[in-house]
Amino acid sequence: MEELKNKVRELLKAGTVQAVIGYRAGSDEKTARVAFVRQPDEADGLILDPRCTDNLAVYLLKPEVKLLGKLAIVARPTTARTILQLASENQLADGQVIVLGVSADGKAVVELASFEALEKFVGQVPAGLTEEEKVLLAKIEGMSREERWAFWQSEFARCIKCYACRAACPMCYCSRCIVESNQPQWIPVSPHDEGNLEWHLVRAMHLAGRCLNCGFCAKACPMGIPLNLLTQRLAEEAKAAFGAVAGGSATGEYALSMFKADDKEGFIR
Amino acid sequence: MARIGVFVCHCGENIAGTVDCPKVVESMMHIPGVVHAVDYKYMCSDPGQRMVRDAIREHKLTGVVVAACSPRMHEPTFRRACAEAGLNPFLCEISNIREHCSWVHEKSEATTQKAIDLVRVMVEKVKRNRELQPISVPVTKTALVLGGGIAGIQAALDIANCGHKVVLVEREPSIGGHMAQLSETFPTLDCSQCIMTPRMVEVAQNENITLYTYSELESLDGFIGNFKAKIRMKARSVDMNLCTGCGSCYQKCPQKKIPSEFNTGLGTRTAIYTPFLQAVPNKPVIDRDNCLYFKKGVCKLCEKVCPTKAIKYDQQDEIVEVDVGAVVVATGYNVLNTGFFPEYGYGKYKDVITGLQFERLASASGPTSGEIRRPSDGKVPETVVFVACSGSRDPAKGLPYCSKVCCMYTAKHAMLYKHKMHEGKAYIFYMDIRAGGKMYEEFVRRAVEEDGVNYVRGRVSRIYEEDGQLVVKGADTLLGGMPLEIKADLVVLATAMVASPGAEELAQKLHVSYDAYKFISEAHPKLRPVETNTAGVFVAGACQAPKDIPETVAQASGAASKVLQLFSKPELMREPVVAVVNRTAPPLFSTCVGCFLCEKACPYQAIGREEIKARDGKVLKVVAKVNAGLCQGCGTCVALCRSKSIDLQGFTNEQIFAEIMAL
Amino acid sequence: MENDNKATGAFEPKLVAFVCNWCTYVGADLAGTSRLKYASNVRVIRLPCTGRIDFMLILKAFAQGMDGVIVSGCHPGDCHYTVGNYHARRRWILFRSLLDFAGIDVRRVHFAWVSAAEGAKWADLVNKVSGEVRELGPYKEYQGLAGKGIA
Ligand SMILES: Cc1cc2nc3c(=O)[nH]c(=O)nc-3n(C[C@H](O)[C@H](O)[C@H](O)COP(=O)(O)OP(=O)(O)OC[C@H]3O[C@@H](n4cnc5c(N)ncnc54)[C@H](O)[C@@H]3O)c2cc1C
Ligand code: SF4
Ligand code: SF4
Ligand code: SF4
Ligand code: SF4
Repeated sequence: MEELKNKVRELLKAGTVQAVIGYRAGSDEKTARVAFVRQPDEADGLILDPRCTDNLAVYLLKPEVKLLGKLAIVARPTTARTILQLASENQLADGQVIVLGVSADGKAVVELASFEALEKFVGQVPAGLTEEEKVLLAKIEGMSREERWAFWQSEFARCIKCYACRAACPMCYCSRCIVESNQPQWIPVSPHDEGNLEWHLVRAMHLAGRCLNCGFCAKACPMGIPLNLLTQRLAEEAKAAFGAVAGGSATGEYALSMFKADDKEGFIR
Repeated sequence: MARIGVFVCHCGENIAGTVDCPKVVESMMHIPGVVHAVDYKYMCSDPGQRMVRDAIREHKLTGVVVAACSPRMHEPTFRRACAEAGLNPFLCEISNIREHCSWVHEKSEATTQKAIDLVRVMVEKVKRNRELQPISVPVTKTALVLGGGIAGIQAALDIANCGHKVVLVEREPSIGGHMAQLSETFPTLDCSQCIMTPRMVEVAQNENITLYTYSELESLDGFIGNFKAKIRMKARSVDMNLCTGCGSCYQKCPQKKIPSEFNTGLGTRTAIYTPFLQAVPNKPVIDRDNCLYFKKGVCKLCEKVCPTKAIKYDQQDEIVEVDVGAVVVATGYNVLNTGFFPEYGYGKYKDVITGLQFERLASASGPTSGEIRRPSDGKVPETVVFVACSGSRDPAKGLPYCSKVCCMYTAKHAMLYKHKMHEGKAYIFYMDIRAGGKMYEEFVRRAVEEDGVNYVRGRVSRIYEEDGQLVVKGADTLLGGMPLEIKADLVVLATAMVASPGAEELAQKLHVSYDAYKFISEAHPKLRPVETNTAGVFVAGACQAPKDIPETVAQASGAASKVLQLFSKPELMREPVVAVVNRTAPPLFSTCVGCFLCEKACPYQAIGREEIKARDGKVLKVVAKVNAGLCQGCGTCVALCRSKSIDLQGFTNEQIFAEIMAL
Repeated sequence: MENDNKATGAFEPKLVAFVCNWCTYVGADLAGTSRLKYASNVRVIRLPCTGRIDFMLILKAFAQGMDGVIVSGCHPGDCHYTVGNYHARRRWILFRSLLDFAGIDVRRVHFAWVSAAEGAKWADLVNKVSGEVRELGPYKEYQGLAGKGIA
């Protein structure tokens, strides 16, 4: 912990960066919140413990955050992967942010100034779903089609189209989301069942092959909709069908921008 | 407010027989925006077209739907009619109620209902059509021809003789390619050099042709009509302007034992050399890997003897840049060498040679002055075995395809041998004889009937050396697979034709596709045999697939005519069905977020990047930009873009959405 | 589009087909010139290439009351734009798995390769899909969503 604070102070003092994105204590014991540290002495308020799970990479592309100047960011492996994925989508340039990588056990902090270093860093941590996540997915997959429909309908019915999920997702960085496109109006504005279904399917498809499974979207949802299951399912499919895994490298290929002449499917007549 | 006119064609009884056309017309009048609807017996006839033109003027139509046959039939007809009446032709759409409706369903209410639906869908589309202008692309009337074999030479001459500039690039020190190496050619047995060298000289003398030999393409950018090519001129170490081609240098060069590429290793050359006497240009290059001065720092004999001081040891590679409008790829082929065949000794027997080597042995200008003598000891062979399909048509160990010319040149080889050695025995092992072509079958017959060549149907399983002879073991399948053993003095393998070295890298530089064997793919196997999938890049000769000289020349002239077609107008007109990235007011400038995932997906590399700059030159944003010259209008990018920032003219999101909403 | 066969009162499925301009559209033209007869409940929407077929089109078709959707283009290797169909195929692989996971009946979405020469395959495809979707009945689940849940 002291190691992190010292690094942050150093970076700010030396003027290497103008702000550091990290975690600070939330309003209660259980939560952590984002901290934008701009002065060396503010580093004291930083925390790094099991509460700190948010994917801070989402802040990197917000225009108001960009105005702060050059940034450093505290990054757990998932955040680090997110940064690489953003780089592969031309949203971050090499050297643009300094990553303070947190090892999987949450102890060590390493300064990663290049994508190459970041790639090595994420390479050491296995990506993919946890056992619990796999069990949950399998449970839904195990339902009959009608049950799945009913399950999702009851979930989607609660959606109020607040788009908190979108705001929380680091990969939802479009300057105009498809739901705001009105010529044509692809997705109805008001929250009703048809539009809700469309929103959730469109969101999942747009994140297919890009989602890092940080779970931030579901965490942000005020209605408790487990919408990250949809993106998880697609990530599993992209991996199984094309061997595509997001966030491994800054030059990684997007599963839907490429193809193999012998991609396998079993349903086209 | 849209003012749409709907014109329903009866097509005689073809449509009206099953679809209630007046009812279609009647239901159109209920659609908001439709101001005029009529039906007529033959809409495509003159009076029918006049109805369309008159209605456009009379009703001030802003869009036209013709419900008739497939747009593949008469879309151009009706678009032209609209244009004649002053309506932008892209405001006209065809609703296909014949092929997709009246012809495939029985007469019924449901069929009429389907026709109504199809027309309504088109009406909703047309309401959202925009005026479009055909895209004109300027054309640079210079062609780049890659490869100076017979294919490249033919294409270059055809184009140059029509008055256009040609830049011909050849990798070797001389043009000529494989044809210059051949002895005599089937089916006429005329001397290859005699017909080839005059064409090479013509190239050298043609004012419209700029020849770069010992050069290769470095890169190609741009698009049809507007390519920029960088050409690397490798350092020759000889000043082309000063050299007169007198040859003093190579006569004096002490490095005399270098295997000659032109003579397929059967003869030697010096370190400073021209590949053969009739080379074009007839000016030498220094092979730096073998030159004593470059290897050891001493010698410089050539510099001393050169009367014009043309030797330049310090010459560097040079890059020249040329603007061209079209490219012809004519980089030819290669043959497998004998080292490819374990069962034939992996190339370790000197007297097992390739067909191409045999050409050099039989050539009057070759290392033996045309006398057929075997490489090991110079003995004139009394028995020669020719093995057709060496590596070809062998999916298990070699290549699955047929090299197409081997049957013919093997017959030729056996004949040439027999003409020189009447007493000699010639055997040909073959799988079957493929002699399709004018006078080809007759040629093979002659080999058998007049020259007594022994054809043995079967494969050769092994060749090994024994007592200074080669034992060829095979089986005669016409005699029930009877094992056969022939003691030969010389064995000639008709080794498979393969892509020329570097073909894959070249194809990638040109963005053209190639097949599993690295032959360049044509745009369509039947109907577009000389085009590639990149507009403005054409293909000719054996780099596309194995072929003989007549076919090569025909394809080269075909490619040239495509180039000339392109050069026949100052500008190239293209349908405006292309993708466009939106531009909006500042500070957004475009809803594109610059993820450039579309850039990677585009099959034509048509998507580039544009920097949006503030007045002070600061880059505010980088967004995608479609090069309309390259875009072919597939719309892959449109479906991929999450923010719907890129759209396809003629098939916009808005149009298709409206079509679905009208279902 | 009407849902019921007026003559018999039996359910007739509504189908839309999104097809590419160079293969399937021409194949369907060929079915016409060959005077093959097939079910009349499909409406064709022409697009340049399967690469252009946005997955949103399929959702919107269901929202618009379609009971089944056909998506078809050139066979692999035959794309007019060389590789648009390969891109499309990847998209469909993911999209279909998502639809299934969300409980949408994937038996109502049919992907096919129909070449310009396969007029008979086209006619056959329409007949089969039409028959299969007729068996499934109207897509009440999806159609029931429209307007539902507005607060
Ligand atoms: C043994 C043998 C005998 C044959 N006999 C006959 C016959 O009797 N009659 C007949 O009709 N056909 C015959 N053929 C076939 C004939 O050789 C070919 O049809 C013909 O040579 C093809 O011409 P081309 O210009 O396409 O290729 P090539 O002759 O191979 O010419 C290609 C040229 O491109 C150059 N090149 C390659 N790569 C590059 C590059 N990247 N950049 C620049 N330049 C490059 C090469 O150096 C070469 O000069 C024979 C073939 C063989 C193997
Ligand atoms: S955060 Fe939840 S309620 Fe809000 S739009 Fe997303 S899923 Fe719907
Ligand atoms: S888990 Fe949710 S928030 Fe995280 S990347 Fe995936 S979609 Fe975005
Ligand atoms: S047009 Fe769309 S896909 Fe292409 S770079 Fe812009 S946002 Fe990305
Ligand atoms: S429409 Fe097709 S060819 Fe044109 S830019 Fe988009 S992907 Fe490329």
